Amino acid sequence: MNPLLRRLRQDLFATPADSLLSIALLAILASGSTAFLHWAFSRAQWAVIQANSTLFALGRYPIEQQWRLWLLTALLAAAAGIGWGMLRSHPRTDRSGRLWPANDRIAALLLLLSLALPWALGLALPIQLRWWALSGLLLLLRWLAGRFGPGLPPALKRLLPLGLPLLYLIGMLLIGGGLGLAPVPPSEWGGLLLTLLQASFAILLCFPLGVLLALGRRSDLPLLRWGSVIYIEFIRGAPLITLLFLGQNMLGFLLPGGMAPERVWRAAWVLTLFAAAYLAEAVRSGLAAVPRGQVEAARSLGLSLPQAFSTVVLPQALRVALPSMVGQFISLLQDTTLLSLIGLMELLGTARTVMANPAFLGKNAEVYLTLAVLFWCCCAALGLGSRALERRLDPAAVVRSG
Amino acid sequence: MSQSTTSSSYSSAANPSPLMIEARGVEKWYPNGYHALRGVDLTVNRGEVVVIMGPSGSGKSTFIRTFNALEDFQKGQITVDGIPLSNDLRQIDAIRREVGMVFQQFNLFPHLSVLDNLTLAPVLVRKRPKAEVVEQARALLKRVGIAEQADKYPGQLSGGQQQRVAIARALCMEPRILLFDEPTSALDPEMVREVLEVMQNLAADDITMVVVTHEVKFARQVADRVVLMAEGDVVEVAEPEQFFTNPRQERSRRFLDQIL
Ligand SMILES: Nc1ncnc2c1ncn2[C@@H]1O[C@H](COP(=O)(O)OP(=O)(O)O)[C@@H](O)[C@H]1O
Ligand SMILES: [Mg+2]
Repeated sequence: MNPLLRRLRQDLFATPADSLLSIALLAILASGSTAFLHWAFSRAQWAVIQANSTLFALGRYPIEQQWRLWLLTALLAAAAGIGWGMLRSHPRTDRSGRLWPANDRIAALLLLLSLALPWALGLALPIQLRWWALSGLLLLLRWLAGRFGPGLPPALKRLLPLGLPLLYLIGMLLIGGGLGLAPVPPSEWGGLLLTLLQASFAILLCFPLGVLLALGRRSDLPLLRWGSVIYIEFIRGAPLITLLFLGQNMLGFLLPGGMAPERVWRAAWVLTLFAAAYLAEAVRSGLAAVPRGQVEAARSLGLSLPQAFSTVVLPQALRVALPSMVGQFISLLQDTTLLSLIGLMELLGTARTVMANPAFLGKNAEVYLTLAVLFWCCCAALGLGSRALERRLDPAAVVRSG
Repeated sequence: MSQSTTSSSYSSAANPSPLMIEARGVEKWYPNGYHALRGVDLTVNRGEVVVIMGPSGSGKSTFIRTFNALEDFQKGQITVDGIPLSNDLRQIDAIRREVGMVFQQFNLFPHLSVLDNLTLAPVLVRKRPKAEVVEQARALLKRVGIAEQADKYPGQLSGGQQQRVAIARALCMEPRILLFDEPTSALDPEMVREVLEVMQNLAADDITMVVVTHEVKFARQVADRVVLMAEGDVVEVAEPEQFFTNPRQERSRRFLDQIL
């Protein structure tokens, strides 16, 4: 018998009861998906998305400055391609040499999506072409990095991660202006741009803060230890939305006159401080997983405590904590929707203004579904990246790849 | 091997005394109040191999771990290569550079390759050029018989190989003293010999070794002196022949009855 059929029979129809259950579930699944497809392709009116695509993407970002965001997207695509290629090429050098590696499903999916999505969304042809060029750039650099990355001098390879903060600074410059670029104030950032900005700002900064808090919690200095514990437990006990409101109202009092940042930045800082407490707990569980003997071995070799932590304990702890840290990052990304409640025009806030527009009344399902898919794409990308990183950091992976 | 003498102000020239380790009346209480060391005295001479034996829980690990300040102690004095052990952190760092340790559980760094396990400390602590350390590390791996494994990770090696890497890692810091805490106790029987052979080989050098072990054959062949510890104190110190054939203390006799 065909192995697929045998497998199906084993999984779905092993006993009469199993068969009955399977048939019922398949029936529900089938009717549900036909109903959905029917809605999506004949009843739904996607014009609401097409007409507002720029608004969803960028908010009210000035049109004549939008080239800056295209440039930034190109930089990000390039960075993603390089990072992806480097991660793939290590430790499995065997697959990296080919432009189109066999059964590389993720790249295939990405290519398909990037070709189909701009078209399906009905974007203008020049914009479609740009998206295609961007995904081509990403895949090309992925190949180049996979091909030539392993041959780079190790010193250069160690410098590569520093590109990330640099990229961030360049990105902030491009978005906000300065150094000769016309300023675009945060109040004009919106949509996916604002969502991703908030999330990436918080992710980048909560990481070092979380590590410091986790170390503080294990410190021998009582003041440091109790400070960290109280901070972590307080933040984890309070709902994010209350902290966001608190941040909008209180940062003004707490910081000396004029120092209180703009609303968008206030929200970003609250998100960061919030995420840091959760991240600290993830890092703490990673630290607990590193046996005491590791520090002892490092110390007996003469390493100072900071040296032992940074070269021996932390790398192992972060490797253990990585999956739960990425889980935190993913929920952080989703939590940015709460910003709409304090009046920021991120994705959900934009969506609500669009739905309030009389021209698009009653198109909630289309809008919310689009939002859900957008968020899902971002979270899936985070998850895939983290799994690649995990493999890269797993010494045992070298065994599996031979 | 000249590096260690130039990089440390506490060279053998500065400390002409034949005593490498001198412990006087060392007492230790664990934070839970347990009195683990009860006034231990012991001296170890330069280049000597001392084997410490004794029943489980007698304080052997606690004692040798005081030599490189992995454990503190409350009373008494310990001098290592002329440096008194105190709470002065700089002195502790100086001592740790001169004292290597091999653990029962190997404690290799699992996220680093074998070669990186060896080179980490010399580069980071002694600030030696990486290329030079790599060369030395490869030579050491060859010496302990695992030159081909340099680029593997610890998790890919057998227990015996891991322990030999751990020995090479300690040697790469060019210590004057090597402490072994039951280096073969976590090993399958067929791997014990390969590790003991490496240690025997080392003993022929002028490095000072303090070895906690239950391997009687090793003690008889390699040790200059055997120390018996029981209930947190040294019961007997003797040459191996005397210790194993005709111990002076009743406590030693009882211990030998149990293990022989
Ligand atoms: N961290 C600790 N806290 C309290 N008691 C300890 C600790 N470590 C060891 N001990 C106790 O100290 C005694 C000596 O332990 P140890 O030096 O490990 O003995 P040995 O190595 O001879 O088996 C044992 O009774 C042990 O239970
Ligand atoms: Mg012990």
